[in-house]
This record gives sequence, structure tokens and C-alpha cells, in this order.
Amino acid sequence: MITKTPSSVNRTPAVIAVVLFAVAAITYWDASHMATRATYGMSASAASYFVALLFLVLGIGHLVSAFKPSDIDIEMADWKAVAWIGLALAGLVVSIWLGGGFILGSTLLFAFTARAFGRKALLVDVCLGAVIGMFVFLLFNKLLTLALPQGPLERLF
Amino acid sequence: MRTFMKYGLLAAVVGSIVGLADGQASAQNLELTITAPAGAGGGWDSAARSLQEAMRASGNAKSVQVVNVPGAGGTVGLAQFIGSAKGSPNQLLVAGITLVGASISNKSPVDLTKVTPLARLTGDPLVIVVPKASPIKTIADLQATIKKDVAKTIWVGGSAGGADHILAALVTKASGADPSKVNYVAYSGGGESLAAMLGGQATAGVSGYGEWEGQIKSGDLRALAISYPEPIPGIEAKPLKAQGLDIELVNWRGIFAGPNVQGKDLDALKAAIDKTVKSEQWKTILKTRGWSDYYAPGDEFKTFIASETDRVRTVLKSIGLAD
Amino acid sequence: MESISFLLDGFSLAIQPANLLYAAIGVIIGTAVGVLPGIGPALTVALLLPVTFKLDPGGSIIMFAGIYYGGMYGGSTTAILLNTPGESASVVTALEGNKMARAGRGGPALATAAVGSFVAALIATLGLAFLAPMLVKVAVQFGPWDYFGLMLIAFVTVSATFGSSPLRGLTSLAFGLWLGLMGIDQLTGQARLTFGVPELLDGVEVTTLAVGLFAIGEALLVASRHLRKPEQPIPVKGSIWMTKEDWKRSWKPWLRGTVIGFPIGALPAGGAEIPTFLSYNIERKLSRKPEEFGYGAIEGVAGPEAANNASAAGTLVPLLTLGLPTSATAAVMLAGFQQYNIQPGPLLFTQHADLVWGLVASLFIANVMLLVLNLPLVGIWVKLLKIPLPWLYAGILVFASMGTIAANPSVVELLLLSGFGAVGFLMRRYDYPIAPAVVGLILGPLADSALRRSLQMSLGDPMILFQHPGSAIMIGIATIALVAPFIFRGLSRFQQDED
Repeated sequence: MITKTPSSVNRTPAVIAVVLFAVAAITYWDASHMATRATYGMSASAASYFVALLFLVLGIGHLVSAFKPSDIDIEMADWKAVAWIGLALAGLVVSIWLGGGFILGSTLLFAFTARAFGRKALLVDVCLGAVIGMFVFLLFNKLLTLALPQGPLERLF
Repeated sequence: MRTFMKYGLLAAVVGSIVGLADGQASAQNLELTITAPAGAGGGWDSAARSLQEAMRASGNAKSVQVVNVPGAGGTVGLAQFIGSAKGSPNQLLVAGITLVGASISNKSPVDLTKVTPLARLTGDPLVIVVPKASPIKTIADLQATIKKDVAKTIWVGGSAGGADHILAALVTKASGADPSKVNYVAYSGGGESLAAMLGGQATAGVSGYGEWEGQIKSGDLRALAISYPEPIPGIEAKPLKAQGLDIELVNWRGIFAGPNVQGKDLDALKAAIDKTVKSEQWKTILKTRGWSDYYAPGDEFKTFIASETDRVRTVLKSIGLAD
Repeated sequence: MESISFLLDGFSLAIQPANLLYAAIGVIIGTAVGVLPGIGPALTVALLLPVTFKLDPGGSIIMFAGIYYGGMYGGSTTAILLNTPGESASVVTALEGNKMARAGRGGPALATAAVGSFVAALIATLGLAFLAPMLVKVAVQFGPWDYFGLMLIAFVTVSATFGSSPLRGLTSLAFGLWLGLMGIDQLTGQARLTFGVPELLDGVEVTTLAVGLFAIGEALLVASRHLRKPEQPIPVKGSIWMTKEDWKRSWKPWLRGTVIGFPIGALPAGGAEIPTFLSYNIERKLSRKPEEFGYGAIEGVAGPEAANNASAAGTLVPLLTLGLPTSATAAVMLAGFQQYNIQPGPLLFTQHADLVWGLVASLFIANVMLLVLNLPLVGIWVKLLKIPLPWLYAGILVFASMGTIAANPSVVELLLLSGFGAVGFLMRRYDYPIAPAVVGLILGPLADSALRRSLQMSLGDPMILFQHPGSAIMIGIATIALVAPFIFRGLSRFQQDED
């Protein structure tokens, strides 16, 4: 269950260090391009520079810790399950993006998430998801008159 | 801060809709969608919802739907509206002076000159106040203070580049000081800046009159002037214009159609709006909401938009928020 | 005293059978909706506000009080049971509460939250009734420099949530600070880190981050482990009710939480989150069993929950006396008042005394009702965990994303939510604490603008922070809190050397 790092360098903190350096660079770049200056006191860029510096320090910290033995055990992950949830969220986002509406989106979200947890009865879950989505939609749109994104399904009501 | 405004707004919207559901079908067959480029509950949203109510109740539209597109002082909603409402005979947008300023300071590629003005609807005065204990008694005192030391004259008000900030800059300029040197401390809304005023941390404050009305009436704040061109019944403070400063700034709101809406479509929309604005229902709404009528028909509104855009840009440039 | 007779009048209004019924309905629906992840008290009240408009002002305000306290309470339930706080003020509750639930002590965790909320709300509501006019005078004297001092204290206390590694804790905090930079700067209108995306100009919503990191990140983590190490249905060990030991360990944190929560809640920019961090840290410091912190210490639920509810009553102070909404929920309440043409403000207590005292009285009643209704419910909530895992998490995700869409139906917001979910998963996987990120997002912008407002008012002179006694004292406390542990450690090492 537990991966032992093969080499003397811990990969995870090293990768994170690189990410932190990148974020620091982006933040620095963004701050240096700010045109508006405050007339009195500090400008908006001051906080950005501070955070960039903080990231730089943390990046160095991670780099140092990459050469120390790891103090955490990383479990093996079931990436297939993670991918299913990714698909579930993508289903919701795409459905709303392309005008598929809220009910379709939450149906996909529900069914695919259930699939990620190992359920095989996709049809049952699709129905259940649709019922929940419809219930929520009716509750919001009809009872509370709050506009959730509408698609072909929603227009039937 | 952001969250709670949004939710507060949400509540107000949801609230304002209750009871409107049984709008009468009318002789007019317009089926309209009004975009409010802000979260539920704020000024633009309540204007949109009120217009919705009045149009339906007065029979000037068959159905009206309000859509909220919040974000970036309205520029997100405006950009979306320009994309979707081009030439459309049934899409409307509510917007106001804040959107003019936001388009400029956010360097948005779109602004209100790209859409078709139908009518200016309401306009609310801003008020300039000082704390109760302040030695400043009149607007002339305030001007003298500004002239003496512009940096030490601390203003508080709403967000940077908004109408409050613009008014502070205009008053500073009229007092003979450099508007780029105005020491304006921005707060997220009338609430927090009110606390700064009551705590005596600022020299002067600017806000919509309605927001601070309670403290003005109770005597905790002293109102020096309002920014409306004429005196308003029920408001004791006199307009800046009546006190020798040639400044007027009104927090106006208006209604727009999409780009390239012309001919019969445009006439129908204008007629529906004009009739609604003259209806009893609309007058009642103005009264209950405490809004001042600031109606101007489409053509007049169009020139007004152009002049406001120029004016706001000049002021924002002078305070370093636009280039 | 005049106040007492007013309060009795208020009770006589609130205790009418119809009004009691309204309060009960309010408490029930408030709890039911507030329990949904991603829907905190603010959204709960916002969504249910229209229901109250059908009643007369008295009845509606009473139902409203029920919904308010019900929603406040409901938010902690999901934090404890499912590790998905419905709002930012419950983030701290999730830290220890969920660990307790995992250890089969979900019942006592929920119970201490319920009783603690009750105690805190009771005391704080008394404070509201009798101290409001005085407290508000102090509160408005709080200048930006004082806020900065308070933020510094809060920042120092965040380290309590860092977990096993300060490096990883700080990284999480920095992530939150970084997100806090995004959007238009309030003071200068300057856009920071928006990369030309207009939807980012309004910044990152705290709820979006909290729900993404907690709810979605948790779902991803559980799913990634599910096949190899199926999550066991959590056994409920022992009594679902609090033991004598639990009571003994809870009552002081409740009181301390109240004392911290109420005054900070009354500050115009105090909020509910900071008192929960402070309370958590204090309880950790004062606990007889500090080693239990991070593994399900009951004090870590009792204190923050009390602080949260006390601050909720505290926010009513500036709302009722100044008309100043200082939290999401207060902003919603303001909208509620305005529907009846009642403008909260300095004149409210004199012009609408009956309504104000009716509200205060119904807050008391709602509070009692909440306790009566919710203690039996603890048993039912705990059963929530018996829903088959696939459906439970699928349901959580649907409701969490719905909360986001309802507040802002934009694709960018949903993408952010999903992105935060992925980050939350990775953070959990590599043992980075989640809470500091949320804290950073809340405190970062507040500290930034408080410091810059101070310096703007002093024309750039940093000494302003030390010239005001309030801020000077708070900066001192923060410095001591930061430095003291090192000194003590050094001292004890020194003593050991001597031996």
C-alpha cells in the first residue's frame, strides 16, 4: 500500500517546490505590471510582492525537505475512481456551458459519482439523479423563483 | 464582504418577486427578458424587478423575466448582453452610472455606448457628510480644509472609482486642490464606511443619501450637501449647486436594448417603456422604494450617456484610475 | 429597568401559540436546509426569506429568527458528520468534529455543538438585549489599525491548525493568501491576478473554496481509497449522548467561546470566522489533553461552535443599532426588515421598539426550540452516515454544486469549484492541512486592506499602528503569541541542560 521512494530525492516535495516557484514568478510578474499606484500609503502590489516572497521561501523549504527522508506515507490511489468523479464534474460543467441545463448536469454528476464508488447500476443511478435534480430545480425555480440554468428538460415545466 | 452582499441581494430579489407572480396578461404581446448585470438585490436588480412588476401590472408586456449576471461592476453582464441581444426585439438591460465607471476602470472592451438607450428611469442623490463633532459646519468649511491640506482631508466612501469617489474628486477639484491628491479611503459599501464616519476616523464621507439617512436624521452625521441638481423635498441638505459649487452627480439608472435594434422593434420597446414609466404602478414603486424620478426619453438619454461617459473618464483620469 | 419590561412585552408577543408555531416551523426548515452542504446560514435565510413574507411583520420576524438559528446550527452538522462545512465559520468545527465522528463519537460531537450553540446564543442574546447600545459605541471606534492588530492575532492562531508540519501548513495558508489577492483591489480598483478573465474580477468566493476543498476534495479522497480499503460504515460507539466527562470538558469552552465570539461579532468587520479560530487555539492551549487535538478533542468542537453562534448574535448589534450588515446573514436580515419598510439604524430601538424586542424574545424562543428539536435529531443525523456511500457522496456533490450555482450561475465559478476540489484532494493526499487555505482567503484581504487603510490615513507613516493603544496592544499580543513558544522551548531546554 505504501510507496517507498526509490531515489534519494523525494519526488513529491520537489515537484511542489517547482509549482511554488512558478506561482511566485507569476505573482511577481502580475504585481510588476500593476499600473495603478496608491497616492498615499502602500499600493495594491505590496501584498502581491509579499505573497510572491512567501511562495519563494516555501519553495526553498520544499526543496530542502526533498532531500530529507519523507515523513508521510502516500497511499496508492484508485485513479479510475478519481477519473469517474472528474468525469462527473465535467458532465455538470459541460451541461451548463452548452445549455444542457441543471437537471441534466446534476443527473450526470450524481450517476458518475455513484459509479466512482463502485456502483454498477448506472441506469438506476441516472434515474435517481434525475429525480433529485428535478426536485431541486422545481424547489428553486418554482418555489423560490431563483433561476438555475435552464436547458431543454427544464423548459418542459 | 463579497459573499454577503451577494446573499443579501439574493434575499432581496427573492423577496421582491413574491407576490408578483400573478401578473396580468395584457394587450401588449411583448415577452421580455431584462438582464440585471449585478447580483440579486442591489440597485440594478431591484430596478429590473420593479420594472418587471410595473410592466406586467400596467399591461405593457405579456411576460417579463429577470436574469442576473453579476460580476465586475456590471461589465460581465454588459459583455454578455451585447453578445446575446444584438438586434433582439425582446431583450433589455438595466444599468447605471457605476457601469460607466467600471467599464473605464476595468478597461472593458465594451461600454454603454454600444447598446441602445431606451429611457433614463431613476436618479438618487449622493450626500456629503462630516462627523457630528467635526468643526466643519458647511461645505465652504470643507473646501477650506481641503485647500489647506488636501492629503490630510480623509474621505471615506464606497469602492474605488465608484460614484462616491468621483464626487470626492470633483469637490476636491472645485476647492482648488489637485484631484489626483484626494485621500479617498475606499470601503466595500455604505455600511463599513459609515462605521469609519461614526468612529471619527475620516474628515468627510460620501454615500447614497438613503444609506445614511438614519444617521443624518438622528444627528450622528452632519449632511453638508447633496449632489442632486435641485433640492429634494424631505431632504434638508441643499444641493452643491445651490451652495456655489458647479457640481452635479446623480446615481442614475436606465434601461437599454441590445445593439442594432431599429425601426419597428425599437419603437415598440420605447413605447412600452414610456407607457410603463407614466403608469400609476411605476409611480407607486418610486414612492415605496424612495427613488427619485429622473426620467428622460431615449434620444435625450443617448446624449446623456455620451456626456456622462466623457465626464466620468475625465474624472477617473484625473484621479489616476484610467489612462 | 426599561429594557426588561420591553423584553417581557416581546415575550408576550413571541409566546402566542401562532407565533410559537412559526418559530417551530422556522427552526425545522432552517435546520433542514442549513444541513445541506454548500448552503450555509446566509443562503438558507435568503432562500427561505420569501416564506416569511406571507406573514405579518411580527410573525415573519419570529419565523425568521427560527430560520436564522436553525440554519446556523445546521451548518455544523455536515461539518461534523461528513467533513463538509456548509460555510466558512464551520471550517474549524470540522477539524475536531469530524475526527470525533470518525471515532464513532458523532453523537457527542453534535450534542456539544447543539448545547454549546444554545448556551452561547442565550448569553449573547442577553448581551444583545442589554449591551447593544454601549457595545456599538466601542465597536465604531475600531479603526483600520485595530482591525490590522486583530488580523495579526488571528494569523498567529492559525498555526494551531497546521497539523504535523509547519512547512505544509504555511504552504496551505499561502495558497489561501494567494487566492485572496485575486480580483479588484478594493482600495485602488487595481485588478490582481485576474489574467484577463472578467469573472475573476470579483475575486474568489470563500464558500466556493471551502466547499471545493472540503466537500469535493473529500469525495475524491474517499473514492480514491474506496476499492482497496472500502470505507467502513462508521460505528457509533457508546452513547450518542454526552458523557459526564464530555460535559466537564465542554462547559468552559462554551463560555470562553461566547466571550470571544460576541464582541468580535459586534465589530463592523469582525465576522464569525475569526472568533472560531481564536477559540480553537485557546482551547488547544488550555486543554488538559492537548494531545487529543487533531484526533477528535471535544473542546475543539464546543468552543468554536459557541463562538460561531455568539458572534451570530453579535452581528445583530451593528445591524440593529446602526443598520450595518456585517455578515452574509445580517445582510439578508436587513433585506428582510426593509420589506416591511423598517430601516434598521439609530432610530430603530425607539421607532420600532415592539418589533426589536419581539425579535430578541423570539431569538430566545427559537434557541430553546432548536435545542428541544435538535437533541432528539442527533440520533437521526448520525444515521445519515448509513446512506450507502455512493449515494451519500453523489448527493453531497449535487447539493454542493447546486449551492454554488444558485449563488452565481457561471461556468467559471463551477470550474473554480472543481479545480479547488482537485487541489483539496491532492492536499489531503500529501498531508497538507485544508483549513489554513480557507483562513488565508478570509484573513488575507482583510489584513491587506486594514493595513493599507491605516497607512493611507496616516499618509504612509507606519507608526500609526503603535500610536493607537488598541492596535498596539493587539500587535503586542500577536508578537508574544508568536515568539513565546520558542522562548519557552528554549527555556525548558536550558533547564534540562542544567539538570
